[in-house]
Order: sequence, then structure tokens, then C-alpha cells
Amino acid sequence: MSSSNHDSRDEALALAESALELASSAGATDADATVSIVDRFTAQARDRELTQLERSRGRSLTVRAFVGKRRATLSTTDVTREGIDALVRRVVSAARFVGEDAHAGLPDTVGAVELCDHDLFTVSPDVAARADDEKVEEALEIERAVREADARIVNSDGSRVSDTITSWALANTRGFRGVHQGTTASRSAAPVARDGDAKRIGHYGSAARGWATLEPARSVALHAVHRALALLGARKPPTMRVPVIFERDVAASVLGDVFSALSAANVAVGNSWLSDRIGERVGSELVTIVDDGLLRGGLGTSPFDAEGTPTRETVVLRAGVLETYLADVYWGRRLGIASTGNAAGGGVGPNNVFLVPGQGTLDDLVAATPRGILVLDTIGFATEHASGIYSRGARGIYIEDGEPRYAVDEFTIASTFPDLLSGIDAVAGDLRFDATVVAPSFRVAEMTVSGT
Amino acid sequence: MTTALDPALLARVLSRALRRGGDFADVYFENRLTQTFRLQDGRIHEASTNVVRGAGVRVVVGQRAGYAFSDELDESALLRAAEAASLIARDGAADAAAIELASAAAPALYEPHGDEPAASERYVELLSRADVAARAFDPRVAAVNAFVTDELQYVQVASSDGRVVTDRRPLVTLGVQVVAKDGARRENGYLGDGGRTDIGVFTVKTPESIARESARIATTKLGARDAPAGEMPVVIGAGGGGVLLHEAVGHGLEADFNRKGTSLYSGRVGERVASDLVTIFDDGDLPGERGSVAIDDEGTPGQHKVLVENGILQGYMQDRLNARLMGVASTGSGRRQSYRVMPQPRMCNTYMPDGASTPEEIIGSVERGLYAASFAGGQVEISKGDFVFMVAEGYLIENGKITAPVRGATLIGNGPDAMTKVTMVGNDGRLANRSYTCGKGGQYVPVGVGVPTLKLASCTVGGTAAS
Repeated sequence: MSSSNHDSRDEALALAESALELASSAGATDADATVSIVDRFTAQARDRELTQLERSRGRSLTVRAFVGKRRATLSTTDVTREGIDALVRRVVSAARFVGEDAHAGLPDTVGAVELCDHDLFTVSPDVAARADDEKVEEALEIERAVREADARIVNSDGSRVSDTITSWALANTRGFRGVHQGTTASRSAAPVARDGDAKRIGHYGSAARGWATLEPARSVALHAVHRALALLGARKPPTMRVPVIFERDVAASVLGDVFSALSAANVAVGNSWLSDRIGERVGSELVTIVDDGLLRGGLGTSPFDAEGTPTRETVVLRAGVLETYLADVYWGRRLGIASTGNAAGGGVGPNNVFLVPGQGTLDDLVAATPRGILVLDTIGFATEHASGIYSRGARGIYIEDGEPRYAVDEFTIASTFPDLLSGIDAVAGDLRFDATVVAPSFRVAEMTVSGT
Repeated sequence: MTTALDPALLARVLSRALRRGGDFADVYFENRLTQTFRLQDGRIHEASTNVVRGAGVRVVVGQRAGYAFSDELDESALLRAAEAASLIARDGAADAAAIELASAAAPALYEPHGDEPAASERYVELLSRADVAARAFDPRVAAVNAFVTDELQYVQVASSDGRVVTDRRPLVTLGVQVVAKDGARRENGYLGDGGRTDIGVFTVKTPESIARESARIATTKLGARDAPAGEMPVVIGAGGGGVLLHEAVGHGLEADFNRKGTSLYSGRVGERVASDLVTIFDDGDLPGERGSVAIDDEGTPGQHKVLVENGILQGYMQDRLNARLMGVASTGSGRRQSYRVMPQPRMCNTYMPDGASTPEEIIGSVERGLYAASFAGGQVEISKGDFVFMVAEGYLIENGKITAPVRGATLIGNGPDAMTKVTMVGNDGRLANRSYTCGKGGQYVPVGVGVPTLKLASCTVGGTAAS
């Protein structure tokens, strides 16, 4: 990539400082400004051909302006001085129509940033160093590998290789200044298998901070092929109540929903089934959930959050007991707790949220299940956080006597989050930090499977 | 404020983009200002302003596309983007022909909207009225969260075939989320409405009506029992039930999946894919509707498309790249979330024209089943065609009558299989009065859906209650 990444951090900080100055002269009594500069490269291959090539640098600015206890925000991709000036004036004038809110405002203290990117391994030098041609060749190689892996693979939606270098700066009118940089590298594939007259697509991708730590190209290709082939001949299962095993990536999506319910922004407005439950048992003893903003090399790792609060390790659920919600400064004040360093994008976001792993493999979970369903993929997304109802379309494998028997699809799995978390009776050891919310495979003692 | 770039500059950028060769190149410029006010706890919680401004350059060679964008709009930055996009044609023949552009305006399609957002007082008033109406609806209303957004997007598309077209698209939405509480039980209701117009539309679609409807859904669910599980007849409600068409059929008819052969509908034009009661349109040219585009994001006019007629597949939704490879014309379906990404074939307003039955006849024909009044959303898997919808408001049907409300119902089915089970179509078709947004490949665009009351003879309902 470019050789000017230090310059990007400087450029980001200079832009943030100039936005602060403009906000102050427009009448803001307090403000913070965040600038991100993202250099992104993507190559996609399909049919032995390079089919997509994208390279761009995108800059974005967000400003939170306070007029006393009234808050207004802006975000823009127009970072010209005139553009920012016109926008901060608009925003400060809109703030007059916002209600006074005792909890609104910058963090009370400005913490010194003690850790840097170097300590946290958020920058992998091999991202900037790697030549574009090599990445293009690798996309073609993944595409070849999925096509050659099995005669039943007859098509592909394309194989992708991409990377990013993000430079990020935050400044506020109380004197906070921070810069941060992170890199990512990712590979994905989407082979299509023939299944009689039907088709089955298998999606698989992996991401890491750099190329050296990323799952190898061939492994990504074979994983994707395995997913396409695993569901061949799938049929609809009967409607029943049985144990359900969530494969790692599906388990992570469940944890994503749990994170939403843990977010102080949802809890404070009553839009969470975990509202008013601090200190209570809400999951089985196997459920310990942690958010670690300082995880070395984690995809959600940074020295400070979007408000400048130092990030940290927070145990959210310990052996099933709810210990805290995850908060930024504002939503924390609303709930009477301190920020947990989870400010992100104007609200509350995960750093590295994970379910603490147990022992053994996914195969071990299957072998220990007399009758049940292994879920490999879900579709649908509308979780009702207020009621805590969980319901998804699913595909996977029917298990009997601890053995995978046949592939199943076109069914739903349903429960409530309280029942689901309380029902987790086995957790595997296959955790991997390839996203910002991750989980090992786990089993829920009983869910409703709705099929024929 | 920059609302368009100089056509002479765009011509130079296009020439640079094609300097290594290519079938065509285009430049997409946008400048979009969105003003949002949010209400919470009975007061305005936050005001926010969002600007998306920049340009993207694309070079297409066969199935290959190179893309680069810039948030800087000066000539050197745009030429840099053109240079980066041109690399896709690295082994192509050089072609330095000068490009001349003829300007055209998009057809008039939207209701009027000023150049600036309305006075802030007006948004505040709309939200306060929604808050009061929701709270007055029922004492069990525990929280009201409401927002209003007012967006104006200037779009300009210049193409190496010599056209430069501009569009000016308004879009307003008023959404009200209500949390109702009864003891320890909490339930949500949500309704959003609006269209491609200005906030004057909320004198007709009043904040009170939106808020009461949202409060009605939330409080009704407080008394709901768990949804049943298993296969049963399902009646899809008029309007919001149109998510069925969007997921079960619509996505599978987008040209990219069909050109690549990854959709289950690939190569099936002229074949039966639904019962003969099923006709499906996708229209980009409905005045003022949320999913309408006077021109799409490639400069092609939005248009009326017949996707399925009396059960027979008629054609796909095309953007320029895929239309060219499939030897047909673009259908004005090339849409994108912003200048930072390439366009994809997408839906606009997808709906079904009226059939012959009354809604009462349809519900009366079901002995035991589910009535899905509206959906919170859905998703489809393209290659095999399995889809799900999350029911936002659902009821049991018992002995031909709508009875108890149910919560947590998800429907799952397979596209062509479900559509051949459409055995009755109502005479009460309409577009949903809901603000749907469709996601594909990480890109989100506003869409419309609509349907008359429909009967699916059988569908799997995924609830938690054993039957």
C-alpha cells in the first residue's frame, strides 16, 4: 500500500483538530471530532479471471457538538474546510432544538493514552508491504482451488482477497488527543455445488490483522467447499424439541444478539430482555462472556474507544451471572455506571466480545448428542430484544446416536434468549478471533425445531 | 454546495478511465444531505446531519470491473481514481478517443422538495405529536422512540457512451418504536412511513396515525401467545406481506445471480415458477414511492418490469454490466448505497396486482392456520431459494376467523415451492405503508413492497409452541 501511513495519522489528527476549532467558533461549548482514513484494496476472481479490482482511500469525519447540555452530531465525507464549516454551523443551530439532557457531554476526565498500536499488535506490517499483484494471484488461486477440490463443485460466486489500513484520530475540546492505526487482511470464497437439479452455495471467509496470521488461502477454499457439500441432499426435518448444536460461526451470530441486549443503549430504553437483571443468573454456569478491548492483535482492539476512554477487559457474564452492561459515557450515566470503553460510532459497540471456550471439538459435541440438530447456517435477523424471542431459519445436520445422519434444511429453530443461555450445556474449545464478536461451538439442551 | 460536476471534466475523467481499454466507463457523483431528529423519553434526544459526497469511477471489460472512488472532487483526484479503475483492463488495447457528453435531465418522478431541509421546529413538532399519541394510546406504553429523517440526494452519472444525466431525489421517513410493558413482559412495535417527497407528506400520513399503529402492535403482542410450530396454511396480509415477493422471488431474479448461474431461477425465463394466480411487477417509476428512481445509479430511467406473469417467469432485473453480458437492455435496476461502492442489480417497488377474492373469503377458507399481517423483514439464500420472514404482527386463524395474536413467528419456505402454493389472491392490493430497506452484499437501499391478501396453502411456521 502507500508508504505514507504515518502521514495518514497526522492528516487525520490535523483534520480532527481543525473541525474542533470550527465547531467552537460556530458556538459549540464542547465537542469531539473523529477522523478515519481507510485505504482499501479488493481483488475478486471468478472463472479463471480477475473480475473485480477496487482500490480507494476514503476519509470520514464525525463531530459531536454540545451546546450546554444539548447534543447534535454530524458525519461527512466532505472534509474540505468550507464543507466542515458549513456543516458545523448547521449542526450547532440544530442543537438548539434538542432537549437539555443532564447526561449529555464529554467524558469527565481526560485519560492519558498509555498503550500504543505497537503494544497491541493492531498493525501488521505485511499488509502495507504486500504487492497488489500477489493478492490478485491469490484470489485466482483460491478460485482454482475451490473448482478443483471436488467434481460436484460446478460454479462459483467468486473468491475475494482484500485488505485495509485504517488510520484514526480523536480530539476533544477538553484536551484529549489520540491516534490509532489498524490493519486487516481477509480471504473468502463462495463455491456452488450441484445437488440433483438444485444448487448449494457455500460461503466462507476469514479475517485477521495481517497476512501472516490469516487462515491460509487453501484452507479458506476447502472450508468453503466443505460448506457447499455438507448440505447436499438436505431434507426437511420433523417438528420436534431436541438439543441444538451451534457451529462456531453461527454461535458467534447468537452472541452478537446477546451483545445487543447487553448494550446500555438498549437496556436504558427498556429494549432489552436483560434490563433490570444485574446480579441475576441469566445463563448456565458454562456461560462466561468477556469484552476485551486490549486483546493483542484482536480485530476490535484499540488503545481507547470513540470517546477517548481507555479500553479494558470487562467480564460481562460470569458463570451465568450478569455482572455489568457494556456502556459508553452517555448510556453509562443513564444507568449509573462508568463507561466500559465501548463507545463506537455514536453509540455502544463491541471491542472483542467472546464466549469463554470450554474443551474439545465440534465433533466431540456431536458424539455426545444422542439425538439433535447441528446448525451450520442460519438465515433471518430480526431479533426482538425487548421480548428476547429468538427464531431463525436454519440448515445443518440431523444427529442420532452421536453420529451425523443426514443434511437438513428449510426448518426453523426457536427459543427465548433466557431459555437459550440457561440451556447451554456444553461449550467446545474451538474459539477463534476472526471477528469482533466470536464464540466457540456450543450446545443448547432443548429448542423447538419446526419442519414438517 | 456542489450539486454536479462539470461535464467537460467528466469527459476527461472518462477518457483517462478507458486509456487501457474497456467496454465502457462511468462516473457516479453524489452529494446527499440527511437531517435527522430523534425523540426519546418525551424530548428531542439528538439532532444529526449526515453528508455523503464524492465520486466513483468504474471501468467494465466483459465480466470484469475496476472501481475507485474519491471524496476529493478536483481534477487530479478524479484522474487518480480513473487511473486506478483502468487497471482492470491491464491487458486491453489502448483507446485514447476523446469523449463528448450530451446532458439530459431525469424524468420528473418525485413530489416537490426544497433545496434545504425544513425549519427544525417542524421536525420537533412531528416527533412530539407522535410521542403524545403513542402514550395516550394505552397506559402500558412504557417507552416511545421516534425519529424523522429528511434527505436530499443530488446524483449525476456520466457514461463513456456519451450521456450525462442528473437526478435530485428526496426521501423522508418518520418512524415510531413503542415498547409496551405489562409486569415483566415487554413487547415492541414499530412502524415507519414516508416516501420520495418532503415532510409535508406527514400532514396526510400523520405522526398520530403512525404512532397509534405502532402502539397498537406493541400492546397487542403483550396479550399474544407463543407462535405455533409446523406446517399449516398461512394467509399473508395486504401491503407489508409484500416482503414475501421480495424474498421468495425478487432477489432470485436479480441479473447478477442469473448471469453467473448461481440463482435457482437461472435459465428459466418462459418456465412456470409460480401458480397461475401469481403476477409480480417491479416498478422504478411509481411517483413518490420509497423504492422509485427517476434514473437508476447508472443513469438508466426507472421503469415498469413484469417479472412473473400468470406464473411464468418473464425476465430479470438488469443493470448495465449484466445486461450487456446477457444481450439485453438494462431495466433501470442498477442501484448502489453510495459513491464508495459499485452498483448492483436491485429491486425498486416489488408488488402483485389484484386477484379476484375478498380478504374475508381468503381468511374464511382456512380452518386452522396463521394470519401474517405484516413482516419485520426477511432473508433469502439465492442458490437453493430458501427464504425466511419474521412476522411483525401475526394471529391464529381458527375456523375461518382471525383469533388470538401470536408472537415470535418466523415463516420458512422455498421460493418456487411457496409460490406454487399460492391458491387465492385478494382484491385489496396496496403498497406497504412501511419503510423497508433492502440489504445485499453489504449495500442498503430503500425499497417498496406490496401485495394483496394471499393464501399459501401450506408453509412452515417456526414458533416455539408445540402443536
